[in-house]
Amino acid sequence: MAKAEASEKTISFGLTPVFLTNDLELLTKLKSYLERATGRTVQLVQRRTYEEITALLVSGQLQAAWICGYPFVQYRDRLSLVAVPVWNGKPLYRSYLIIPRDREMTGVEELKGDLHAFSDPNSNSGYLVTAALLARQKLRPEQFFRQTFFTYGHRNVVRAVASGLAQSGSVDGYVWEVMSEIEPELTGRTKVLRKSELLGFPPIACANTEWERDSVPLLKRALLDMRHDPEGLQILDLLRLDGFSSEDARLFDTIAEEMTLVMSLPA
Amino acid sequence: MTGMTGRMFTAATKPLSWPITVKVPMLVVLLMVIVSAVITNRVLARLADTQERHLEQLAAAYLDGLSTSLTPSVLREDIWEVFDTLDRSRERYRGLNVDWAVVTDGNNRVLAATDPTRFPSDRTLAPGIVAQFPGAGVELVEQLTTAYAARPLTYQDREIGHIYAAADIRPLLQERSEVFATLALTNAILTLILAVIGYCAVRRMVQPIRILTLHLDRSTQGPIEPIAEEVVGSHGGEFRRLFTRYNGLARAVNEREELAAKLAEEEKLASLGRLASGLAHEINNPLGGMFNALDSLRRHGDRETVRTTSGRLLEQGLAGIRDLVRSTLAVYRDDSGRRRLIPSDIDDLRLLIEPEIKRKRLTLHWTNDLSGALELPAARMRDAVLNVLLNACEASPEDTAISLRAVADAQAATFEIADSGSGLPPHLKEYLEQPDTAVAPFGRRSGLGLWMVKRLCQELGGSIHVPEKGDGGTLIRLVIPFESRELKHVA
Repeated sequence: MAKAEASEKTISFGLTPVFLTNDLELLTKLKSYLERATGRTVQLVQRRTYEEITALLVSGQLQAAWICGYPFVQYRDRLSLVAVPVWNGKPLYRSYLIIPRDREMTGVEELKGDLHAFSDPNSNSGYLVTAALLARQKLRPEQFFRQTFFTYGHRNVVRAVASGLAQSGSVDGYVWEVMSEIEPELTGRTKVLRKSELLGFPPIACANTEWERDSVPLLKRALLDMRHDPEGLQILDLLRLDGFSSEDARLFDTIAEEMTLVMSLPA
Repeated sequence: MTGMTGRMFTAATKPLSWPITVKVPMLVVLLMVIVSAVITNRVLARLADTQERHLEQLAAAYLDGLSTSLTPSVLREDIWEVFDTLDRSRERYRGLNVDWAVVTDGNNRVLAATDPTRFPSDRTLAPGIVAQFPGAGVELVEQLTTAYAARPLTYQDREIGHIYAAADIRPLLQERSEVFATLALTNAILTLILAVIGYCAVRRMVQPIRILTLHLDRSTQGPIEPIAEEVVGSHGGEFRRLFTRYNGLARAVNEREELAAKLAEEEKLASLGRLASGLAHEINNPLGGMFNALDSLRRHGDRETVRTTSGRLLEQGLAGIRDLVRSTLAVYRDDSGRRRLIPSDIDDLRLLIEPEIKRKRLTLHWTNDLSGALELPAARMRDAVLNVLLNACEASPEDTAISLRAVADAQAATFEIADSGSGLPPHLKEYLEQPDTAVAPFGRRSGLGLWMVKRLCQELGGSIHVPEKGDGGTLIRLVIPFESRELKHVA
């Protein structure tokens, strides 16, 4: 019983492999801030794929997790929104199709036959957006591209395209823009061929079952207050975000539509 | 000057004739060049060996490490993971300087490469590339800039792919040439230093020999000069002994020279005595007649015929004495050697040797073809010729002949004096004909007269020849060049 009490007091917070999660400074600061703001012990949980984190979240092993809009709409009936990051004043971002800098192209159709780099099969910006784009032409990625592979990280997509390993890649627009500030020499070897429409920013979600417990409201408060706290501001500065806001789940309807479109294609 | 350059040129082409101060440093240089060539060769061979082994070990470690971490990704044909592993290994194996690395699957299809633009994924690796890889090990070839290493990837005894890696070995070759340059430079500097040290050391060592050579050179032009005491004192060991002995030798030779001069003086006095007795004899002969005439006058002076005859006899006797005195005066007049030689100076000598000629009943052949005043000092010329004539008289047996022939051309006067004696001993002939002043031959009285002749001759810049004479006896030829007009003018 005492053990259950103790684990009750711990918040397990999952992080998907967005590019900054491997930054130790960020992780230390985030853990420290969340522990102070919630008054609970916080355990940051990282996995290689979105799928693993989503599985942990849905199964209730994590109190909350920073996931992608795609898994959120996949498990919409079982997940609730905690908070959505605000970037450039909006809780929105885009997906980019990038190609090597010296490749001369005019349209997406020229990417046909490419070796294409995706970020993660459960990533919206790193997979679903491009898949939906092709689905409108009644094509699945493996039909349009010669070959595709997953790098399990947006930064890796940039690396794959920059090195020439892939002839094109699907990447999170937020990650690419922030990287072009931090690592301009890497993004400089790529260029954006197409930017998608604005989509809901990868949100922090929790299992519906967790919503009733006090740890989620504590976490939500901590995230929303981050922009008013000096330590929180440092974290936001590292993430190049304005803050977190409370949003309606309908923000992710466009992603849900894309998912439906992709799913509708015959196998 | 030309002769000297010629000699030096000849010397330069013959190493054996080089001075020891050059020979020893050259030997040092030669040895150092050989030593450094051997050392450089050894060091470079060892370096190449070490580099090759090092490269081989590093390549093996690189391929081992890669194959372990790549196998699962290759099995899954995970392009990204293969690329990521290769890309990260570059940092980890920085020492190997990997130029490029390619991972292929079992069908030799590229999964990923460090340089995807050169080796695109999902394409077959060109056979030309594969052919560059040796069967086993790493080759480090001087002419190449790249080393190739390959390793099959196996999983459960099945070959699932290959790793091909090319390393840039230019830094290794660069290191080799740097080591070579360092060695060459160090050896060159060392060689130079040792050569200079060798030169200085040998120069210092042979310095006493140079001192000795210098003194010996000087001794040919004058008396032998001993080495100064402070110079002797400044050297130790064998050179001090050598110098001391040389000085002892110099002293002994100089003493002998002095003794010879003294003996020559005595000889001069002795010939003076002979001359004086000859003169007395010459005067004594008419004196007897004159006394007889005087006696006849005293006894039969009243007779006219006796008076006339006695007066004539007295006049004849006095005239003979007057001639004798006049020629003696002429010969021995002290003119400080300033008067020029005239033919009668030589003819007067005939009177001086007359007593000796008569005493030994010699026949004298006298040919004096000189004419006019000659550019020669009269007194010293007469002394020289007189000494040879007296020697000839002494050397000739009784009832034989001696001769004098004096001739002159534009440059020099020649005097040939021949006798019928037993000939000149070879050592005296050699002594006379030698151009420089050597030690006078001692042990024979006759040598002293010759020594004086030689001295006079040398002072006058002339030479003495003793040609072979067919009929026995000795012929001595003095050739005395006329004093140069410029010199005389200056004087």
